[in-house]
Amino acid sequence: MDYQLKFAPVFDNFGHLLSGLLVTLELSFGAMLLGTLVAIVCAAGKTGGPRPVRWIIDVYIEVIRNTPFLIQIFFIFFGLPALGIRFSPNTAALVALTVNVGAYATEIIRAGIESIQKGQVEAGTALGLKPVQIFRYIIVKPALRTVYPALTSQFIYLMLTSSVVSVISATDLAAAGNDIQSQTFASFEVYLVITAMYLVLSIAFSGLFSLVERMAFNYPLSR
Amino acid sequence: MNIFRKAAAIAAAAAIFVGLGAVAAKAQTLEAVKSRGTINVGMLVDFPPFGILDNAGKPDGYDADVAKLLAEDLGVKLNLVPVTGPNRIPYLLSGQVDVLVASLGITPARAEQVDFSQPYAGIEIFVFGDKDLAVKGPEDLSGKNVGVARASTQDTAITKVAPQDANIQRFDDDASAVQALLSGQVPLIGCSNTVVAQVEKVRPDTYDTKFSLAQQKQGIATRPGSDELMAAVNDFLAKAKQDGALSKLHEKWLGAPLPDFIANSKS
Repeated sequence: MDYQLKFAPVFDNFGHLLSGLLVTLELSFGAMLLGTLVAIVCAAGKTGGPRPVRWIIDVYIEVIRNTPFLIQIFFIFFGLPALGIRFSPNTAALVALTVNVGAYATEIIRAGIESIQKGQVEAGTALGLKPVQIFRYIIVKPALRTVYPALTSQFIYLMLTSSVVSVISATDLAAAGNDIQSQTFASFEVYLVITAMYLVLSIAFSGLFSLVERMAFNYPLSR
Repeated sequence: MNIFRKAAAIAAAAAIFVGLGAVAAKAQTLEAVKSRGTINVGMLVDFPPFGILDNAGKPDGYDADVAKLLAEDLGVKLNLVPVTGPNRIPYLLSGQVDVLVASLGITPARAEQVDFSQPYAGIEIFVFGDKDLAVKGPEDLSGKNVGVARASTQDTAITKVAPQDANIQRFDDDASAVQALLSGQVPLIGCSNTVVAQVEKVRPDTYDTKFSLAQQKQGIATRPGSDELMAAVNDFLAKAKQDGALSKLHEKWLGAPLPDFIANSKS
């Protein structure tokens, strides 16, 4: 074991890594926000919608949760053009990640919604709140608060999963690392640096999520 | 390593080279091969699909089949000798094999050490894409998407010649790049002649080759001055190209007929 680490090729190309990091951040945050919206709509539909709607949402969830992400992203990038739907690599990656995390988050948020007792909704109605207000303040917000830890760990998993999008030539952090590795052959150093960057990202995400938790859900449960 | 050991190592290496030099440069005659009744052919066994080991551990592949045809043509038995990339020319020069059918690319530097036959195989890499797209040279790639397999020869070649604003999309392998072309995600890809032939089989008349990025011809090599043997090898290759035997082997191993730049090439 007398391997000499040579980080020069990595740091010479650090700009490339940073632009990859930016794409990873965009993909992660984009898919988190869009996926949460998808999940709230689907969870509402699944708990309160008519039967055909529930059935369609069930199919969506089962198909996505029971197939590999790699196949989903191939399908979206290579398969959909046959139907005339064509995305650029980075957009296809965002769509695939959104669809994927949406299915998982739907089940998580549904669990939260089902934890809201009927009496609370009835209390809202009795107070004269509009259905939209009931949905927003009495159902969604407390539901999100209940399932927040599960949701955020799903989001961190989403960020880590985004590292496979380079298979459709999206230009994320892992792709940038592969590029540099294939040009400089400093594979050990490149992947060491990338691993550290993903680790820092995960920790930063955790910190950010607990900050959001303190700001958004910092109200007493009962008096 | 101290300086004396280094000097000793260099001296030893020099002695080996001088020794090799003594046995080297002895031309092989056709007669010697025929009277022996066996031709020793060096080939790679780690370079699919040209040279591989079959399930029984015997050398196989395009090179092995070409060597078989050559031995048949000369009317002698074939003895395949596995060689490696770095040692194949020393094997030939030191007389351990009579000829190399070892995917040896024809280069001026190598031509100073060995004699090359006319090419029997070759690789050419192209920019390939939609027929309607007017792309004649690297400058026309400006503003266009080009798919390649990451870190492949075509990736390096296109990255070197393409203008700054060409968008090179790097996939994990050739199959994904081809898939991107077929599904219309990229209008152009960089790929080799065998991939071009395979795509044209699946989707004829849709794409064409735009311009060549690099070309390599592979020749059969003999020791310098083995003129008679070389003439016999060249006769064999000319015949095998004419009657389609070589093309058939190429089809068997590479899934496409012998490319034109090899079939029509005499040197």
